[in-house]
This record gives sequence, structure tokens and C-alpha cells, in this order.
Amino acid sequence: MSDSSTATFPSPLLWRSSLRYLVRHPWQFGLAVLGVALGVAVVVSIDLANVSARRAFTLSTEAVTGKATHQVVGGPGGLPDDAFRRLVVEAGIERAAPVVEDYVSIPGRDGQPSRTLHLLGVDPFSEGPFRAYLSGTPGDSVTDRASVDLGPLLTRPGAGVLPAATARELGLRVGDSFTVRAAGTERRVELTGTLEPANENTRRAVADLLVMDIAAAQELLGRVGRLDRIDLIIPEGAEGRRLLARAVAVLPAKAQVLAASGRTRTTEEMTRSFRLNLTALSLLALVCGLFLIYNTITFSVVQRRGLIGTLRALGVTRREVFALVLGEALVVALLGSAVGLGAGVLLGRGLVRLVTQTINDLYFVVSVRELTVPSATLLEGAALGIGATLLAALVPALEATQAPPRAVLSRSALEARLRQALPRASALGAGLLLLGGGLLALPGELLGMSFAGLFAVILGFALLAPVATVGLMRLLRRPLGALLGVLGKMAANGVVASLSRTAVAIAALVIAVSVTVGVGVMIASFRQTVVRWLEMSLQADVFVSAPTRAGGFSGAAIDPEVARRAAALAGVAQVNSIRRVEIPSPSSPVRLVVIGTTATGIRRSFELKDGRPDKAWPAFQDGGAVLVSEPFAHRTGVGRGAAVRLRTERGDRDFPVAGVYYDYASDRGIVLMSRRTYLRWWNDPSLSGFSLYLAPGADVDRVVELLRRTIGAERGLSIQSNRSLKKISLEIFDRTFLITGVLRLLAGFVAFIGVLSSLMALQLERARELGVLRANGMTPGQVWQLLTSQTGLMGLAAGLLSIPVGLTLAAIMIYVVNRRSFGWTIRMEVGPQILLEALALALAAAILAGLYPAFRMSRTSPALALREE
Amino acid sequence: MILVSVTLLAAAFLARSEQPLTPRASLSVATTLRAANEQGYARAIEPRDFRFPADHGPHPEFRTEWWYYTGNLETAEGRRFGFQLTFFRSALAPDMPARESAWATRQAWLAHFTVSDVNGGRFHSFERWSRGAIDLAGARAEPFRVWVKDWTAEAVGSQAPPMHLAASEGDVEIDLVFQPGKPPVLQGDRGLSRKSAEVGNASYYYSLTRMPAAGTVRLGGERFAVTGLAWMDREWSTSSLGRDQAGWDWFALQLSDGSELMLYRLRHQDGAADPASSGTVVAPTGDARHLRLSDFQIAGSGEWRSPRSGARYPAQWRVRIPSEELDLKVQPLLADQELDVSFRYWEGAVEITGTQRGRPIRGRGYVELTGYPTAEHR
Repeated sequence: MSDSSTATFPSPLLWRSSLRYLVRHPWQFGLAVLGVALGVAVVVSIDLANVSARRAFTLSTEAVTGKATHQVVGGPGGLPDDAFRRLVVEAGIERAAPVVEDYVSIPGRDGQPSRTLHLLGVDPFSEGPFRAYLSGTPGDSVTDRASVDLGPLLTRPGAGVLPAATARELGLRVGDSFTVRAAGTERRVELTGTLEPANENTRRAVADLLVMDIAAAQELLGRVGRLDRIDLIIPEGAEGRRLLARAVAVLPAKAQVLAASGRTRTTEEMTRSFRLNLTALSLLALVCGLFLIYNTITFSVVQRRGLIGTLRALGVTRREVFALVLGEALVVALLGSAVGLGAGVLLGRGLVRLVTQTINDLYFVVSVRELTVPSATLLEGAALGIGATLLAALVPALEATQAPPRAVLSRSALEARLRQALPRASALGAGLLLLGGGLLALPGELLGMSFAGLFAVILGFALLAPVATVGLMRLLRRPLGALLGVLGKMAANGVVASLSRTAVAIAALVIAVSVTVGVGVMIASFRQTVVRWLEMSLQADVFVSAPTRAGGFSGAAIDPEVARRAAALAGVAQVNSIRRVEIPSPSSPVRLVVIGTTATGIRRSFELKDGRPDKAWPAFQDGGAVLVSEPFAHRTGVGRGAAVRLRTERGDRDFPVAGVYYDYASDRGIVLMSRRTYLRWWNDPSLSGFSLYLAPGADVDRVVELLRRTIGAERGLSIQSNRSLKKISLEIFDRTFLITGVLRLLAGFVAFIGVLSSLMALQLERARELGVLRANGMTPGQVWQLLTSQTGLMGLAAGLLSIPVGLTLAAIMIYVVNRRSFGWTIRMEVGPQILLEALALALAAAILAGLYPAFRMSRTSPALALREE
Repeated sequence: MILVSVTLLAAAFLARSEQPLTPRASLSVATTLRAANEQGYARAIEPRDFRFPADHGPHPEFRTEWWYYTGNLETAEGRRFGFQLTFFRSALAPDMPARESAWATRQAWLAHFTVSDVNGGRFHSFERWSRGAIDLAGARAEPFRVWVKDWTAEAVGSQAPPMHLAASEGDVEIDLVFQPGKPPVLQGDRGLSRKSAEVGNASYYYSLTRMPAAGTVRLGGERFAVTGLAWMDREWSTSSLGRDQAGWDWFALQLSDGSELMLYRLRHQDGAADPASSGTVVAPTGDARHLRLSDFQIAGSGEWRSPRSGARYPAQWRVRIPSEELDLKVQPLLADQELDVSFRYWEGAVEITGTQRGRPIRGRGYVELTGYPTAEHR
């Protein structure tokens, strides 16, 4: 009990009053904490999932790249063995290491899932300076120990080594053999030793590595005579440039020397948009949480306006009142953030699987076995939770300081002030909409700016919600009166009369529902676009493809003879071929799709976005020109009229771009080339797959059966009918959007909690008013009816308002965010179902929120309610 | 002899310590060569017929083999250099099934390259590993060539010698041609060189003890035209050191009267010389006479401690061969000629002064010291 008049911070007495308030309103307090916790949890979990996937990727990249500064790559078919000898013997480049690598899987035993391993074929004699865990490097303070005998590893076919921990997990001992699936066939690997990484980082990095001698790796993968790449360590400066020049001089024309850092950077950039989108969605959840905080604190201030007035009259300063309110918010923030961090880590464990799945489907193979929990993420999450809560509490805290001493600011006065403030809020909202629109309209590819615009638009709509509510209630008063009599009018009037509370609740509900509408419409439109695109691009009846490695693009190669044999089968009318290859380039590898088909076939399967069909297609088929996919044009800025530079087997060549076509297969973009052009520049007649058009009347299933029996045995070819391939494609699409769908649900859940708490608080606060009504003869049933119709009205208002807002958000996500992130043209499609769902969601949330207060009010005796204050 | 084989060195070290020689383990090729399985390889048990040039080429049926070049060089102005270029072959297994990949091999190769810059007071040493596949490393008899990556020794014409040696690393390079000097000297008993009392612990061993050398040495930006004398040792075996042998001191001395002296003293753990220690005197005419341990005395004195390994090596020697009335003082041209490679050992250029039958005699040569305990293994 110290002298409080001069203290900046409230005295213990004030704190006690504060505490008592919190304890007496556990629902309100608990829901506020939950709101913060959920917001923080979603943000933290997404960040953890992103960080973990990235870290796992960086570690495994470092593990296989080692200390290489440069990599020599060779495009389709890799590099010949002799390229390595020329580098080290003729060019005298001492620090060079050949690599043959691929992903192989160990089929699961006893119902366990199969496990993917990164097969790394190396030359142990060259490894010294590169991968410390393989060679041990002089001067390393920590050395990795291993029990590997080079004799068996080099001289026994199929010999390999695994990290000791991985061997244990697989139940393997040195000397055991195990089966791996590689390029569609099963091969035996003999475990001749184990690696014992010395530190945790290396242990994680190599956890999925199967190391073999380069000879055994070539044999196992069926790639004898070819290298995937040659790692180099080249010093910086003049000596390095001299070495690089010597290297280029002895390498074949198709080889390229790329900086190793580019590889990591490229993959980093590949997933940047994806990660940024996830982060933005997670922030949406936090924004929904913010409305909840704002609402809770505002309510607590309004509820105690008498107490605060009294305190002010007793000499409590404005600053102390301000500190008191913010102090309460801080308690909520701290508790909520603490719970949120814990929940975030738990949630992150689940989300990291979804994120990893999507990355594997879309970008590259990464396997995350452990969730990385950097303290930075936790600190950020806590700072965000606490900062956002305090920010949301700022307005009500300032509001509280406005209470004049003793003068009990009546509810009506407050409402009057709010109504006066309504035009100001609406103007601010309109301003924010304009600002958001301006940000979105800004040219350029700045995704961050687009998201800022999106948030401004959301906030703008939130501020416009009260005025829209007032308007809507005026419109509804008459029909409601007709429908429900006096009670209906009362309900509509009540919503407007207590706008200070209802406005925030409705705004929160609008935001939450419109986010679900927006994300839902975006996903549905995207899916519909993809479905249409699949219809168009998958026209053949049967598709045969070589096994591709997970996340890989090119996959194994098929002998063209196999396609010729398939063409000769009964019922097959026409065969189109496809070859997918990755052409290395200094910025990032270019994905080249080579199509062998007739002129009409190609016109049917591809739709041009830019370019005239009568010019583009002839140039493509016979004129040596290429087409680029829409994301490619977007990402690289290379469109019609420009040229794509590719490293062919005869050196660099510029291919003119005849047009841009729609494609949704990859956000990295694709260069489309005719088989004739390809064979002119690359000596690579093999195929990645082919498609068959059947003769009229032929039975698809019978041809598929026939194919499986005749050519199916060839190195694990996949043979799919049109129907099943479309199904698989859509399954992958749905899988990649699973994480987005989950975030949409989480944001909706946060908002639902917010609405529940604010509406409940609102109705509980009306105890006195309802007591009066009860005392004047209103029956419990009528109270029930009044309350549920009022919350139902609010739900209806929110539902109706959220439809235009949701569609606006969807349009922003489709036309701005997605375009800028991935470069896709998506046709926005709005089904009635999603709008009805929105309405139903808003109504259900609101009515549900009204149930408990209605139940309580109808049970309370009017006398008790009146005595409440 | 030239006893330096990685295998032997490793075996010597490992016999003393359970820890690997260098803590560089993992897939490290260095540790591999300690695998001591001798089953399935040919052994050096009795004298054989040497045929040239066939025996300049590889003998893959034996586990290990080396081509050992050392020599002393100087410029017209008297600037002195020593060099060593050595190629080691070591089999990983006695046999291997037929394989598809051209990378498949059972032969591992190692090469050491050193230049002693006597006037500059610096010793440069380098190491290269390679597999014996896709022509990265290998050896052949006709035309003679042995190479590990771009370090090579090869016949200049159809026959060797003359031989051309070339090796470079960074700004250190040698480019030398050796002319034929004396015919090959078969060491030990007609080329069978015993390394311990156990039958089969022996190698086939011949030497070219005096090859006039000329060419260039490059150090940094400077290129020096040099002449001098080179020595080649060729040795192949499957096993050689006995269990209790710790290492050896080996001497290749070229004397001013046109004779050469090769001596090796195998040291036991307790410092005593193994009875299998031996040597050869090569007369100016090329006639060779075998020396047994009782025929010579080597007394080391002084000490040089390696700042890298902590090993303490003798700083000079007195070599006496009573039957030849030879009394020599052998002194390193540089104290620090320890190779900083996977298995550290001392191998360096030496200067010889002394008397023969009372008359002064001079000479140059190379000395190799192995099995001196390093700080961590003592």
C-alpha cells in the first residue's frame, strides 16, 4: 500500500482490482488467452515447418555438395567418365571429385513405409577435400569416425555404407544385404561398413545417405560410363580463373561449370514464394486473433467504466489507468504467447509433414526427420503475440483514460460517441482500402508489398463493417418486424444500439469468414483451372512413363524401341513421345520438355497465352523455335520474341521463343521443344515417356493390360489410362493444397473463438437490460428468442458482408498474389456452394455463441439480474 | 629395398597403437592400406629372373609395389635442390569379379612429391591419391610409364632409361630427364631382399643407382636449369616387416669416386637393429657386393624434433664399412625434410664427407627415416 498518486505504475491495490476482474470473468479472459495462443501457435508452427524444411534441405545439400565451390554438369546424359580424367590429368585440377547420385528407396517391410535414401556414388580417393564425413579432413577439430574398409567397398559390386544410426534403424549389420529400388528395378546392396558422424549436424545431414563407390553406383543405377557431376574446389582470384579456363578447355561442349552456391540459392528461391505465402496465411490467423484481443480489452474497459471513473476521482492518474489496462493485456499476451509457443511447436510437428510433402511434390526431395526449433522463431512468435496484443489493447486503453473522474460514462454516451466516430472509422476504412488497392496496383514483383496491400484491404473492410452493419440493420428492421413482431425489431435495433460491441464482433466474423471464402474460392478456382488444363493436355488414351525419382524431373530413360513396339500393338492408332530433361544453366536448371507428335496433336494439347497459333506452331515444329510456359515467362521475363539460351551438346545456342502457353505442372516453368529440334542439338534419342491414341472401338483397359504384359517388365514403366492419370494428377494437386486448406481452417477457428467470446460477453453484459425486460413480463422463452435472433442477425450480417469481402480477397489472391508468386493465370470461379457455406458458417458461429447467454439469462431470476450492479 | 611403403609405415605405426595413424578416418583411403590380409597374393620367397623392360612395369599379383625416384640437383651457379617423386601401388583385394563400370578397380595409387630448396631453406612436400582406373593412375612396361594423375615418369623413347619425370603442384614443379647410368643393380640375394627372419617377409628389389639428370626446377615464379644425379628404386612385395620391427633408416649414397652405397637398418621396438638389415656396395664398374648387418655400422647422433609430429629424428650419422675402409659423415642438407602427408616420415637430401682408404671422399644422397614415434604415439 504505497503512495500511488505519483507512481507511474498502478499500486498493488489497483492490480488487485484488476485481478479480481479477470478472475470473475474467466470465460472472457480464457477465450482472450486462447485467441492469442492460437494466433501465435499458427504463426510459430508455420515458421517452424518452413525453417525445418529449409534446414533439412540445406544440411542435406551441404552433405552432398561438401566444400565444392563449383560443379561441372553435363545436361541430358550427364558427363562421360573421361571428363574427370581430362580435368585432373590434362588440366591438372587436383581438387576434383566425380559424383553419381540418385534417390533410391528401401521397400518397407512388415507394413512399414518405404524409406527414400540419397544414393551418393563417390570416388573415395578424390573425396579428401570435399566431404569431411567421408574422408576426414586434416585440420578438422572434430573428426568423423567410421568402420569402412575400402577394399570391399571398392571391389565388391553392390557394396555400400550407411550412417550407423540409419543402419540400426533398418536393422542392418555390416555384412548384411538389403534390397533397394532404383530406376524401377530392385537391386541388392551389401552393407560393408558404417559412417559415424562426429557431430549432430553431420549426423542429421547424412541420415538418409547411402554411400557407394562410384563404380558400384554406376552399375546399380544402370549408368555405366556417365557421371552426374564433378565437384571442384577452385580458389578465388587469378589462380582460380586460370584453373577454370583450363577446365573449360578440356571439357566437352555440353559441359558447364557452375558455382556451387547457385545450387543452394536456386532451391532457396524456388520455394521462397511458397514459404512466403504460407507465412502470410499464418499471419491472417494472427489478424483474426487480434480482433479478439481488441474486443476483449474494449469490453473489459467498457464494463468497468464506472470503476475507472471512481478510481480517477480517487486520484488515480490517467497514466495509471492506461498502465492498468495495458498491464491486463500484457498478462493475456504473456499467457497466450506462452501457451501459443508450446502449441506452435506441437502443431509444427504436424505441419512440417504437410509442408515437406508439398515441397517434395513440387520442388525437390527433402526429408525432415526432426523439427528444428530455433530460439529466434520462438522469440519472434512471442514478440509478435505480445506486440500485437498490446497494439490491439492500445485503443481501449486510451479510451479508458478518457473516462472523466467520477462521471460514469454511461453506455448511451459511449454508444453516442461511437456513432459519432463511425464516419471517421468508415473514412479510415475507405482510406485503407484505397491504400491497399494502391499497394496491390504497384507494378513489380514485390510479394511483400502485395501482402501489405492485402492486409490493408482486410483492415479497411473491418473498419467499414460497422457502417455496413448499421445500413443492413435498417434494411432488415422492417422485414424482421413483419416476421417476428416486436422481438424482431428489438433484435435489429439492439444490434445497432450496442454497436460498440456488436461492430467489433461482426467485423471479426466478417474477416474470419471472408478469409475462408477467399482462400476457398482461390483453391477451388485453381483446381477448376487445373482440371480444365488436364482435360486439354491429357488427351491420349494411355500414358507410359519411365520411373521418376521423387521430386525429380527427368527420371529414367526409355529406349525409343519400346515405344515402337507399343505402336505395333493391336488397337494402337498413334504414339506421341515425350522427353523431359534438365538443362543446367548458371541461374537455375531449365526444365525442357521435348514433344514428338503431329502438328494437329500439339495444337490440341497446348493452349497459347501469347502467340498466334498459325505462326507459333509451324515455327515450333519445324522452325527450331521453342515455346515457354506461363510461369517460365513470368519468372525469367523471357517471352515471345525473346530467346532462351541453352547449353547444347555443341555449345550454347539461343532458341527463339515462338509463344507462351498455359501450364500448371510446375511453378518453375518449362521450355517446350519439338523432338525434331531437340535431336538436332542433342544426341539423346531416349524417351521419358510416350502416350498412345487408340483406334476407334479399342478397349482402353484391354490395351493397358496388353501393354503391362508386353513392355511392362521394362525397368518399372508406369502405364496409366487417361482416367487414372487425371485422378493421380488431381490427387497431387489436392495434396499440395492440403497445407493451405489446413491454414484456412485454423484461421477460421481463431475467428470462431473470437466471435464466440465477444458475442457471449456482449450478451452476458446485457444481463441488466434483460432483467428489466424480464421484470416487465418477458418470458424466458422470449428472452431466448430475442437473444438468439439477435446473435443470428449479427451472424447473418457478417455472413452477407463476408461474401463481397471474401470475393475481393479471392480476387486479390488469384490475380495479384498468385500471379506474382507463381505466374499462373487462374480463372476465378465462384460456386454457390462456397457462398452458402460462408453464410452457414457465420450464422452457426453466431447462434452457437448466443446459446449459452440465452440459456443463462432465461434461467436467471430478473431480481438477481437487476441486482447485479 | 626402399622400405617406404605406406603399408609398411602404417603397419609399423599401427603395431604400436590401436589408434589409426592419422585421425582422419571415415572412408579415408589412408586407413584402408592397413588391412593386413595377405591371402591370395603372390609372395617373394625365392630369387627370380628379372627381365627388362618387363620388370619396370607393374606386378599386380603382389600387394604393394613402388617406383622411387630421388636425387640431388644443382644449377650452374651452385644452387642446390633435392627432389623425390614416388609412386606407390597398393592392391585393395587380391581379385575382383568382372565389373561393368570402368571405375571399378582393385588398385589404389599414392604418389609423393618433394623438393628440398636447400639455399632457400624450404622443404615442399605433396601427396596424391588415386584409384587405378580410367587412366587416372597406373603403370606399364612398354613403353614405360607410371603415373598418378599428372605426375608421371615415362620412357623418353621406346626404352627406359632415358626417363622423363614431371610433377607439379601449385608453384613447385620438376621437369627432368634421366640418362642411363649403370645397369640395374639387383639388391639382396639376386634381387630377393629379406626384411625379417620369417620366410616370405621379403620383396623383389632392384635399383638404378646413378642416372645423370638434367632439366628444370620451378619454385614460385622462378625456373632453374639444373643437372645432377638421380636414383631409382623398384620394389614389390606382399609382406615385409616383422611384427616387432618399428621402422627403418635407409641410405642411398652416391660417392665422388663413382661408387654407390645402399644400406638399410631395420629397427626393433627396443632400438636394436634387426639381423635382416643389409646393404649393397656398387663399384664404379657397376659390380655389386651384398653387405650383411655385420659388414657395416651406422651411428646416429644429435636430434631434430619435428614441430609437426613431435617425432625426434637423428640429426646426422657416421657410416662405416670396415671391409671398404670407408668412414663417412652423412648430414642432412635441411634439418626439416619431414613429409607432411598422410603418413609422416623423414626423407631428405644429404651431404656426405669422409675418407676411403685414408683419402678424402665426398658424396650426395638421400636418407629415409620411418617409424620414429610421433608425440601422440610415443
